Amino acid sequence: MKDKLYGVLAPVKKYGLFVAIGILALLPMVVSKTYILGLLCRVLMYATLAGSLNVINGYSGQMCIGHAGFFCIGSYVEAILATRMGISFWVLLPLAGAAAALMGLFVALPTLKMRGVYLAIITLGFSEIIRLLALNWTDVTGGAMGIKNIPVPRLGGIEFSNARTYYYIFLAIAVLFLFITRRVIRSRLGRAWMSIREDQLAARSLGVNTPAYKAVNFMYGAFWAGIIGAAYAPYARFIDSTIYTLDEGFNILSMVIVGGMGTLTGPLAGSVVINVLTELLRPIGQWRMVAYGVLIIVMMWFRPQGLIGASDSVLAGRDIKMKKSGEGAK
Amino acid sequence: MSGILRANGVCKYFGGLKAVENVDMEIARGDIFGIIGPNGAGKTTFFNICTGIYGPTKGSVYLEEEEITGLSPDKVAAKGMARTFQNIQLFKYLTVRDNVKIGFHLHTKTRLLDAILHTKAYQQDEKMIQEASEAILERVGLIQYRDSMAGMLPYGIQRKVEIARALAIEPKLLLLDEPAAGMNPQETMELAEFIKSLNAEGHTIALIEHDMKFVMNTCNRILVLNFGKKICEGTPEVVKADQGVHEAYFGKGIIAGEAVK
Amino acid sequence: MEYLLNQLVNGICQGAIYAMMAIGYSVVVGVVGMVTFTHGEVIMIGAFAAYYAFEMAGNHILLGIIFSFSAAWLVGVCVYKICYEQFFNAPRNISMLCTIGFSMVVKNLAQIVFGPNQKPMLNIVDNKIYKLGVVQISTVQIVVVITVVVSATVLSFFFNKTRWGIRLRAVSQDKTAAYMVGVNVKRTAMVGNCVGCALAGVSGMLLSIYYQTLQATMGGSLGMKAFSSSVLGGLTDIRFSALGGLCLGVIETLGITVSSASFRDIFAFIFLILMLLIRPEGFASKKGARP
Repeated sequence: MKDKLYGVLAPVKKYGLFVAIGILALLPMVVSKTYILGLLCRVLMYATLAGSLNVINGYSGQMCIGHAGFFCIGSYVEAILATRMGISFWVLLPLAGAAAALMGLFVALPTLKMRGVYLAIITLGFSEIIRLLALNWTDVTGGAMGIKNIPVPRLGGIEFSNARTYYYIFLAIAVLFLFITRRVIRSRLGRAWMSIREDQLAARSLGVNTPAYKAVNFMYGAFWAGIIGAAYAPYARFIDSTIYTLDEGFNILSMVIVGGMGTLTGPLAGSVVINVLTELLRPIGQWRMVAYGVLIIVMMWFRPQGLIGASDSVLAGRDIKMKKSGEGAK
Repeated sequence: MSGILRANGVCKYFGGLKAVENVDMEIARGDIFGIIGPNGAGKTTFFNICTGIYGPTKGSVYLEEEEITGLSPDKVAAKGMARTFQNIQLFKYLTVRDNVKIGFHLHTKTRLLDAILHTKAYQQDEKMIQEASEAILERVGLIQYRDSMAGMLPYGIQRKVEIARALAIEPKLLLLDEPAAGMNPQETMELAEFIKSLNAEGHTIALIEHDMKFVMNTCNRILVLNFGKKICEGTPEVVKADQGVHEAYFGKGIIAGEAVK
Repeated sequence: MEYLLNQLVNGICQGAIYAMMAIGYSVVVGVVGMVTFTHGEVIMIGAFAAYYAFEMAGNHILLGIIFSFSAAWLVGVCVYKICYEQFFNAPRNISMLCTIGFSMVVKNLAQIVFGPNQKPMLNIVDNKIYKLGVVQISTVQIVVVITVVVSATVLSFFFNKTRWGIRLRAVSQDKTAAYMVGVNVKRTAMVGNCVGCALAGVSGMLLSIYYQTLQATMGGSLGMKAFSSSVLGGLTDIRFSALGGLCLGVIETLGITVSSASFRDIFAFIFLILMLLIRPEGFASKKGARP
């Protein structure tokens, strides 16, 4: 929220943004390796997924650590309704988001008036319950065998059946997410969320209905996670419960923590860093997760707000030094 | 009665501890009302009950004759009571201007869809907030600090920012919890003048304070608490002369004679 | 009826272990003042420490207790130095996230070192069945309950009758006040953390002896159960946390008799939700009512 800074940088940001989107849109035509395209798809997908978690953890200061649960709900809603009832992908996208948002409300409701750690634990438990349901409710979810042959999205003759085409779906969702979220953050809602993050009691005493705003915030984050889940299912063509583990939730959390909390670009950076690291560290298998854990610890020690995180918030964790009398006017 | 805030028989017990015991209070429109008492007398607890942070164990609170007992702090704020805190709960990492902007939350109505679609409601709100926050900062004399990080400013300035933020609510009643705490005599005097000028503009103000001189100079009516009980209510002269007040502060004996000057 | 009574016994035994986990958790949160996500992994480490003790030196329960206690204590020192020491004055979220990172490291290292599969831990205790009227109790169950009760008694004595106990209680009530009367707050917090972790370690051993199996991934759900049990005690009250653990054990055991074993963890979750809906602040002893 540095108004002056935004004032100066606005033109640069505006054009820079379009240039960046343009480059991203042209990328698949230049890149030939499917492997790289797959990586790009993953980066874009996780940019939105981490972004949705950042809205919860970074902007309102709540603690959700079971984000995989909403991702899972989105995927399964899409997969089940698409395979069983042939509903169009484009209808299912927002539907899955709404389903995830509704679940988000149920999850957050008991803990809205309590300390943050209770929400964190509930999201953990919720994530596991969803996974267990996906694993055991065989009639609906296919159980351990998952759901296969998920229909490919079609739009005006184009079949989105490979990474090269699906890239645009992930890109479109990411751009839409950023655009919408930016507008929300810079409005009364975003200000209310940030006031809750900075000092909940003060916010409440200024008239902010903190439980209601926390709930809306949580649902917003869950909504977009559900959308990404729904987008992911036809991309993978096959889903089962093994994708949506607690580790996956920690994977997304790492992106937010490393990349940055409380800013729009932080989760993007986190997605790039973690996904590239995943590729580079693939040979070492499980040591990757150890590396992420170490990364989180290192971040908490030296830069709690993340690489591109909100340095002007409680997330940065440092004490403010008061200037002496007379100083401070700008 | 043209009372703004009325408390009837308010009690607050924390288990066996009687923090507030049967306190009645009436603040009239246009008052600068002081609440004083030795440490631990229950002043802040009483404030917290009025603003909805606690519900009272017994008793009721009325704002402009409308009962607000037990309402949550945000609803109390919506009814028109704003407050500041003893240990300055500013949004330390946000700028002064952003702190004040949040104060306008109650007077704006942008919803999720408005924000996404940049509807008229959104645009009007943003324009209003921008102009109104400038106005308040001008009025309060903080315009030169508007882009400073709130937590880095001197204590006296921070206190003013907190008051400015509370004023954004356009409150019927402004409650200040130990506004002069941690201030040097110069800052305290400036604060007293500031409060009086706010009052002259029509704001009703209630404050908790320890600084006797400050209270005697600024307030037109005072309530004295000790051990959670009311021991005196009235004008500064009445309170100065009250025997119970003397005993509360200075105990019994010769030295008590050298009381408040 | 007889079946139900036996399941009740099983539930109480399971509950005793959960109680011990919960006691450990509430000691950590109470003394350090920060919430942790590492408890499940500490339980797991304790189990593995006992496993290797038994492998190397035979099935002596006391040996297992010593090893699991010590290994968990050491892990506690690491957790303290990495996740708590720096962050006493920082926002609580930071230490919380740090413990999440720590648990990720331990959990995945354990899977790498010990392998991800279940390991059998057979017949540590010479298991006989005793009949008490219609109810059957096994030696293992008796050992478990005795260990828990003895540990709780020792802990109670430690807290109430020793110098260290007073320090721990002081630090858990008000760190600044404790500091001002000369208590070394940092060292005391570390000791408190280690005591809680050590209890977790021993409960890990008990769990793996009881179920005759252990696995590097067992920590996650166990940590959640420790937390869920402690909610009854407001996360910090030892007695009510223990009670919570007992209730959870009984509810869980009775629950899976009417559904299936794979729904075990769901009952912990339901228990947690119920607690949060009915009495979210638990029954903690109020640490002084300063508003």
